Amino acid sequence: MTGSYAELFFLIFFGVAAIWFGIVVFRTHSMVRSALALLFSQTAIGAMFLVMQAEFLGVLQIMMMATEMSVMALFMVMFMMDPGGMGAMDMSHQKRLSLRAGGIGLIAALAVSWLPDWGPVANSIPDASRQVELLGIELLGRSMFVFESAGLTILTSMIAATMVAIAPRKIGEDT
Amino acid sequence: MNVAIIILTLSIGAYFIAIIEGWAMHGRISISRPALSALALFGRESLLARTPDRLFFESGPILLLVVGILSMAVIPLAPGLIITDLATGALFLNAALAYVLVALIMAGWGPNGGYAMIGGWRFLGQFIAYAMLIVMPITAVAMRAESLSTTIIVTSQSELWNIFYQPIGFVLFVLAAMALAWLPPLDLPNAPSDLAGGFEAEYTGARLAVLRLARMVIILAMAGAIVTFYLGGWLGPWLPAWLWSVIKMLVVTTLMLTTGRLVPRVRESDLLAAGWKLGIPLALANIFLVGVIALVVDI
Amino acid sequence: MIVELSVALSIGAGLFAVGLYGALSQTNLVMIMMGIELILAAALVNLVAFWRYLHPDVMSGQMFVLIVMTVMAVEMAVGFGIAIARFRSRGSVEMEEARELKG
Repeated sequence: MTGSYAELFFLIFFGVAAIWFGIVVFRTHSMVRSALALLFSQTAIGAMFLVMQAEFLGVLQIMMMATEMSVMALFMVMFMMDPGGMGAMDMSHQKRLSLRAGGIGLIAALAVSWLPDWGPVANSIPDASRQVELLGIELLGRSMFVFESAGLTILTSMIAATMVAIAPRKIGEDT
Repeated sequence: MNVAIIILTLSIGAYFIAIIEGWAMHGRISISRPALSALALFGRESLLARTPDRLFFESGPILLLVVGILSMAVIPLAPGLIITDLATGALFLNAALAYVLVALIMAGWGPNGGYAMIGGWRFLGQFIAYAMLIVMPITAVAMRAESLSTTIIVTSQSELWNIFYQPIGFVLFVLAAMALAWLPPLDLPNAPSDLAGGFEAEYTGARLAVLRLARMVIILAMAGAIVTFYLGGWLGPWLPAWLWSVIKMLVVTTLMLTTGRLVPRVRESDLLAAGWKLGIPLALANIFLVGVIALVVDI
Repeated sequence: MIVELSVALSIGAGLFAVGLYGALSQTNLVMIMMGIELILAAALVNLVAFWRYLHPDVMSGQMFVLIVMTVMAVEMAVGFGIAIARFRSRGSVEMEEARELKG
């Protein structure tokens, strides 16, 4: 086995935590607990990135997902009928179809993970500060076009989401 | 060893902040008041709400304390006196502070009470606007230092402190730090008068002691961040490095705690409008200016 | 035979399966979006695993991860904007009741 046992152990630990929190998202009745379980699932994924020595990505994932999932919790409270989960209502449909689809997806992805031979493992990873430097050079050098179009996409979606969400003001109405 | 020294500094600093806050609130400096009130809190009855969400109610203050300690982990008090010198330390600080939001949402939703919930959601609005005003000045600071590591950011200020190089960023960062630690005049989540104490009112006894301690640690970590990013960290003429850090942090904390109380509480709509419409364009202008100056002038 | 890579890909597979189950079985738009977030997170895990174990000196892997994170944020923003508009016109965001275009 290549690499150290510690890395494998922490990968499995954080991975199982992420999957467990993901299952809690759809099993719990309380909506806010569901959103915060998704938050902790994403935090476990960010911790997995840190274990795989992608430090910048791990910290970025942890930071972004905290804010995004908290906003999702707010939207749960706004739109769902029973945010506290006290009514124990079942809000799902086509259960068997989705279980079968999930099962098929799982088996296919597991087959792709374990069957092929992925080649030799690469052992020389640039250390974290060098990675940040290289990522910056990549962002503004070779991938400049991708980066700029991503920025433009974000701007467009910000304007679009704001425009869709603003309530139309009727003529003659006070603010 | 580093961890022990920094935890000791945290404890003494948190006690000092409690003294200063007592002075700002009551008008008299009393050295023993924080210790006596902490003892009293542990002895008092711990009232629970009627049907709380127990998981969130209990874990809110604890998560807040963990966040405070984690955000202090990347603040250097002297060259080498830092718990973990991450290569992305400045970003890690922001990531840790994002969990203040999670902790306050838990603390607001947990007690199953109207005013606590409103306090929690108010903090969500406040946080999202002012977290941007933390990240963007940090971006400008990291541009000058050409690194995200907090130690390198401090050493990059050896010729000119960032408060003179990037004053707009400094003002925005201090305001955002006060908003994140819900200090007056931006203390909307636990507004003592219009929300009847907000989410802090639902906590009594030992849990309230943990919540208050966590808030002190967060204020100290924010002061440490201001000192590291803008006031040159440990740099100074003839005193030892850690003493300079501590003095600067205590001065910043005192200013944040005392001058804030002179202004009435800001209305939530004004706060958010100022953050989004005025703060973010200013932060972007700050980044642009710093970029131009860094390319043209040789500091 | 890199064990860590296969383990990380299996974690990605598990997250994908849970997300797919959620996205297909929930009736509320917000819950469907949570399932989609899990699917995208699974893709991120796979990307980082491939970067770390096969090509760690090429930064395009991390660039791809940044783009997928951007897509996650953007899709959530626009999705919630649509949810607000729908809620304002109908009073609920249940997908079972969104039958206006059904034939």
